[in-house]
Amino acid sequence: MRKGTLALLILLLVDSLGAADDPVVLIAYPGLPKADQPSIQRLYTGRIVSVGQQSAVPVNLPAGHPVRQQFLETILGQDEGQYTGYWLVRRYVGKGAPPQELRDVDEVLRYVSETPGGVAYVPASRVPAGANVIFRR
Amino acid sequence: MKIGFFPLLVSLLPCSAGAVDLTWSGFGTVGYAQSDQPYKYQRFIDDQGTFMRDSILGAQLDVKFNPEWGATVQARLAPSAENDSAWAATMSWAFVSWRPQDDWLIRVGKLRLPLMLNTENRDVGATYEFARLPIEVYSIAPTTDVVGLSVSKTWLTGRFDWTLEGYTGKMPTYWRYYQRDVGVNSQNPGSYFVELDVKSSGLVLTARDIDNVFRIGVHEVEATRVGDTSHADIPYRPLAPGIGFYDIEGARRIDKMIIPVQTLGASVLLPGDFRVTGEYARIKVDSSSQGLTRWGAYLAVSRQFGDWTPYVYYAKMKSPDDVLERYKAINGNRVPPLPPPYDATRINQSQKLAADILSPYDQWTAALGTSYRLTPTSVLKAEWSHTRSGVVSSFIDAPSGSDSSDRHINVFSLSYSFTF
Repeated sequence: MRKGTLALLILLLVDSLGAADDPVVLIAYPGLPKADQPSIQRLYTGRIVSVGQQSAVPVNLPAGHPVRQQFLETILGQDEGQYTGYWLVRRYVGKGAPPQELRDVDEVLRYVSETPGGVAYVPASRVPAGANVIFRR
Repeated sequence: MKIGFFPLLVSLLPCSAGAVDLTWSGFGTVGYAQSDQPYKYQRFIDDQGTFMRDSILGAQLDVKFNPEWGATVQARLAPSAENDSAWAATMSWAFVSWRPQDDWLIRVGKLRLPLMLNTENRDVGATYEFARLPIEVYSIAPTTDVVGLSVSKTWLTGRFDWTLEGYTGKMPTYWRYYQRDVGVNSQNPGSYFVELDVKSSGLVLTARDIDNVFRIGVHEVEATRVGDTSHADIPYRPLAPGIGFYDIEGARRIDKMIIPVQTLGASVLLPGDFRVTGEYARIKVDSSSQGLTRWGAYLAVSRQFGDWTPYVYYAKMKSPDDVLERYKAINGNRVPPLPPPYDATRINQSQKLAADILSPYDQWTAALGTSYRLTPTSVLKAEWSHTRSGVVSSFIDAPSGSDSSDRHINVFSLSYSFTF
């Protein structure tokens, strides 16, 4: 049990150290135009459904995923509790559901490459060659 | 609402089966409330304790056909709106939404109206910190749901998103009355429910940023009693100098009531992470139940300390002074023994009934409570509130032979709200 806890702590530490050197970037299906940070914030909070007049379909990683935490903190300026709370209210005032959650970065990359309008955040180090990067801090 | 309504709406949608994204979610509250008084307050709360005032279970299905088209269905199991001892499963929402552009949202179906700040999400306790939304304000609108159309336009400015929403629709609803001594159709005291067909239209402007929200709305409700007309007033019939009675049977009749409603609200995050929330609503009802004409307001202060959010609020609602005076006059009116054809006993019983039909409100509540976030989607809440009535409060089921004036009620509430 203690070994498992230690391993988890090391994993989180490595993740957090890696996050500083590996910023999150936003990638999208080919053809979707570049976006600014307010647009990304609005897209991930459901206040807009397009980027540059083109339909956009954002996806999330699961709650607690370190890349998602990094995205929330650096791009949206929120923590997990605030973001979940925001969507909790928005869903129950009838303004839609939060972006679909995919299991991991590999699934996200596959989704964006196959889905017209697809938008996702990934670590800069995982951006495939030739991918459409629409936002980078 | 009729079962076939939602499938009909969905069948009109342009979609391909492979693109549909379905999301289920559920919500609920297990809420216990107990007062220190033997009579009922807010339909259910007395010194025996109850789970019926605040408990609810619901589920919601959000369907996204594509970025522009979606649909939402929400059903809930909660105490019935037309029976104090029954539970009822009802459809809260069932609408199709179309968002042709970022700034336009059109919804058709069964909708919850944007009245107060938490009206739309009031069934989902995990979305707000109060153990119970202040009834002084949240009870004012004659209906919160309609089957109809809502169109909203949003302007995304630098800091605030401004949304102007117009809606129109209709819906059957129930008004609850409580008769202390004799009922309208029986000699027994108790509650009874009047069914009304309600048409409602309104325009609401909301400004929102990440921390603050401001809302103002004007609404007009047209209410028609189902299968009957409504009494327009309760006229006074003099029998002799200084002797007379208020006549609930010989009143002028009207087909419908036009009821204007105005709402105003703000929730602002102040320095020091203090949140101040205030809401105000008023309504004007021209009928024999002119006591329903009233204003309500509350002011709340809360502050988050990690998972804890303690709060205090003060709420008040009041019918106009002349209506409260009229209530006192009717409630206290007695006739002496009278010669035939008059029946003094029956007339005197009818005066309390007439006073109850007037349905006035005059009360305030001070509450102290806290929420504790177990997770971002579940919360424990505890609250103590003290309510004091003035001339009268129709939220209080006064015992036979007395009335609801000058009542002091302490209510202790404990609840667990969750979503999944």
